[in-house]
Amino acid sequence: MARMEKLSLDLNTRVLVSLWVSLLVLAVIIVRLWYLQIVKGADFRRASENNRLRTIYIPAPRGKILDRFGNVIVRNRPSFNIELVMEDTPDPQATIGQLADILGLSVELLTERVKDQRKRRRFQPRLVLKDVDYETVARVSANRYRLPGISISVVPAREYIYGSLAAHIVGYIGEISRRQLNEPKFSGYMMGDIVGQYGIEARQERFLKGERGIRKVIVNAVGVRIAEYSYTPELSGNDVVLTIDLNLQEAAHGALKGKRGAIVAMDPSTGAILALESSPSFNPNIFTGDLDPDTWRDLVTGPDKKLTNRAVQGGYPPGSVFKIIMAAAGLSEGVVTAGEQIKCPGFWRLGSRVFRCHKRDGHGPVSLIPAIQKSCDVYFYTVGQRLGIDRIHNYAREFGLGEKTGLNLVEELRGTVPSTEWKRRYFKDPEQKKWYPGETPSVAIGQGALVVTPLQMVRAIAAVVNGGRVLEPYILKQVKTADGRVILSEREPVVKHTLPVPEKYLRLIRKAMEAVVNKPGGTGRRAALDPKYGVKVAGKTGTSQVVAEHLSVGREDLKDHAWFVGYAPADRPQLVVGALIENAGHGGAVAAPAVKEVMEAYFRRQLQTDNEK
Amino acid sequence: MTLDRRYLSQFDWWLFAVSLLIPLAGLTVLYSAGYDPGALRKAFSWLPGEYYSATFVRQGVFLIAGIIVALITIAIPTQKWERYSYLIYFMALLSLVAVLLFGQSSHGSRRWLLLGGIRIQPSEFVKVALILAVARYISKHPPPVGGYGFKNLIPLAIIIGLPMALIVRQPDLGTALAVGAIGAAMTLFAGIKPKVLAILAAAVLIAAVPLWESLKPYQQRRIMALLDSESDARGSGYHVNQSKIAIGSGGFSGKGFLKGTQTQLEFLPEHTTDFVFAVLAEEWGFLGSVCVLALYFLLIYRILRVTLKSYDLFPALVAFGVAFLVFFHMAVNIGMVLGMLPVVGLPLPLFSYGGSSMLTVMFAIGLVLGISMRRLTFIGKIG
Repeated sequence: MARMEKLSLDLNTRVLVSLWVSLLVLAVIIVRLWYLQIVKGADFRRASENNRLRTIYIPAPRGKILDRFGNVIVRNRPSFNIELVMEDTPDPQATIGQLADILGLSVELLTERVKDQRKRRRFQPRLVLKDVDYETVARVSANRYRLPGISISVVPAREYIYGSLAAHIVGYIGEISRRQLNEPKFSGYMMGDIVGQYGIEARQERFLKGERGIRKVIVNAVGVRIAEYSYTPELSGNDVVLTIDLNLQEAAHGALKGKRGAIVAMDPSTGAILALESSPSFNPNIFTGDLDPDTWRDLVTGPDKKLTNRAVQGGYPPGSVFKIIMAAAGLSEGVVTAGEQIKCPGFWRLGSRVFRCHKRDGHGPVSLIPAIQKSCDVYFYTVGQRLGIDRIHNYAREFGLGEKTGLNLVEELRGTVPSTEWKRRYFKDPEQKKWYPGETPSVAIGQGALVVTPLQMVRAIAAVVNGGRVLEPYILKQVKTADGRVILSEREPVVKHTLPVPEKYLRLIRKAMEAVVNKPGGTGRRAALDPKYGVKVAGKTGTSQVVAEHLSVGREDLKDHAWFVGYAPADRPQLVVGALIENAGHGGAVAAPAVKEVMEAYFRRQLQTDNEK
Repeated sequence: MTLDRRYLSQFDWWLFAVSLLIPLAGLTVLYSAGYDPGALRKAFSWLPGEYYSATFVRQGVFLIAGIIVALITIAIPTQKWERYSYLIYFMALLSLVAVLLFGQSSHGSRRWLLLGGIRIQPSEFVKVALILAVARYISKHPPPVGGYGFKNLIPLAIIIGLPMALIVRQPDLGTALAVGAIGAAMTLFAGIKPKVLAILAAAVLIAAVPLWESLKPYQQRRIMALLDSESDARGSGYHVNQSKIAIGSGGFSGKGFLKGTQTQLEFLPEHTTDFVFAVLAEEWGFLGSVCVLALYFLLIYRILRVTLKSYDLFPALVAFGVAFLVFFHMAVNIGMVLGMLPVVGLPLPLFSYGGSSMLTVMFAIGLVLGISMRRLTFIGKIG
């Protein structure tokens, strides 16, 4: 005691101060704990969940695309991708180097691929090589120990079984673009998703896509999976059944081989598309693997315009096929009768201008049926002049020309049906705004400013065949779930226009179209089927000029387009088939045999089933 | 060495109990922090029962060893400790030199001595040796009225500075800082002239700039990370960020024993040693953390009570030094884990996994228990 007092150390104060200081520090710690655990607790809780949970998306297999009889056109097959997870390799560049070495590829290419996906998080696999073959898979597997971070994933890949056949119908798929991601119809999609980009794949995306699966796994700090947290299984897309008859489609594909053009086959009673082929075509399978830019450029901008669906996006003058519409208009308007004979000397004069018939020495006096049968130009120059351009225009529009048919497949070409009003609206120059009488004869034989698509012409002829109903064509027959439950059934035919043409005139025109194929001197004799089928074909040929005759001599690319639109059986039509072949010459010579091939495919099967019965 | 009944009647059972409760709580948390189902069971086949945590078993062994050290320390009279203070201090300095000469290095610093297969960290024991030496010096050269002046401080500065310098060379900035802080706190406790104190404080502030520049880049980064831990989440700030996530996600009542995802999935670095408090906060929440903090306060309070009741300067200073050792380590460690202080590698006393730290603190507490038990003998002698 005495010693302490001598030291004059006030222990009481010192210890008290020490206690207060430690209490103060503890209070600060507790306040901080309160702030972190109670105030910000929910945020940190979320952060800790994010830390440990990783979401893995499992792509859903897309639905199949089938023809009307259930034949598979597009399906999925397992495809192998080579991926790199940055987090799992100590040195990504070394791994890429090894991979390049093993596969004999350039390091730069692979590095570039991986770099492009820098936005991906470290644990997310980056795609290095897409849809590789079995040999590559085997080589990578065998060298696994040299390739840390490299993994092979199996994903469903699209398989277009028939390659370029029906490619313009089924279309193709591709990774969703940045622009598409911003569109409302792609809400819920993510970067890297595969979506339909063209054709049915694009138009029926909502049925085909399915629902992706979501797997949440618990990982530790070094990214090793510890356990599964939750799993929502992926849902297969729905199968889309088309109205297409693969048999006819194949025939059309064959008929167009090596040519540029389109063939459309349609059921005239419903508007269902039985075949729709455009040539040259492309192989949609190339979009599944790695597509090189040159191939892409060739598809889009190449001289062949392979991605253009000529059946609905190709615009051509209809040529003499238009004479069917002229005949219907002339008869209905009473400017010509079935029996009236018009003399064809091989040319037709309008003022000082001379319009030639394709038959230089003339057809002589012709009435309606032979005029169609032999495709006499002078007859229709005359009818055209009697009708005047605006009445021609009105009838053409009634037949559905100059408007989109409404086929839900690709952006369609509207086409052009000229009229006085059209000229007024379309041209700026006052001189050109005027309709000159000299322009009418060209339109009357399906030339001039008239532009149609093959589908429009097929639909127009179908209206002649089905009693005057201009139908909206369709290609989607049904949608079924993967286990076969129908969720969308075939729709009722939609009539867009009813022709203001009495049935008796349509019957007369049909008789004329029968003569085109079956009577001597008819222009479409080569569309006739072998007698064994017992089926009469009817139709109309067309040869549409690309440029004036004297300019096209010797120029292959300026040669006339060949048309034929026909139907069969003539008495009880089951299908209408139209063919357009670019720069091929006469319709009767080139297009009619193409149509015949498709019809033959149709009736051959019918003959077979009849025999089996 | 006399241990009669009078001593036992004076034994501070509260202090002893708290000194055991804290490491027992620590063992619970370490069981979880070192939890590894299956993998290490075989290593302890000689132990009764089944354990899935190597850290737990080893720390248990350290705790038992610590209790033995504490009991031995208690048995040795305070006067003996006072007499041999300088000897202990010099041996401690020698061990630090030995570390620099023969020490084992890891992560770029040399901190450990290998003795018979056991890795010990002499810088831990230096802390108590310094407490003894400083207490001895002050008790022999008590401050004049008004406190120490400059001249009196020079020998103390040397006593404190020597081990600091040796530890900085390892380098181990955290421990050097702790040693310096303990010495400084004890000196301040004895008393320094206010004017001298003001000048010293100013000098420290001025020295801070060259000191900052002398720091290693990783040390600078750690301090910078404190200021903005989000900016560099995968680098320097990663530790602190993960620690804050672990603590914050614990919420009020915690995720439960063995249920801390940050700990079990190893997002939390150093979760058995420096960041063990984050494991506690994650699995036991605010409630568990505050309970442990209360135990620390109780420990500091009981030690300071021994200071207050001392009848001699040496035991008073030793007890204060030990109280400050516990307080400083606790405050700096938890402050770091909570992201309020830079990441310096100071263990949480009696809690963090580690034999050297456990034995050192138990040794220090043993000193205090011995002092408290014997405080009446002075009266007896005087009376």
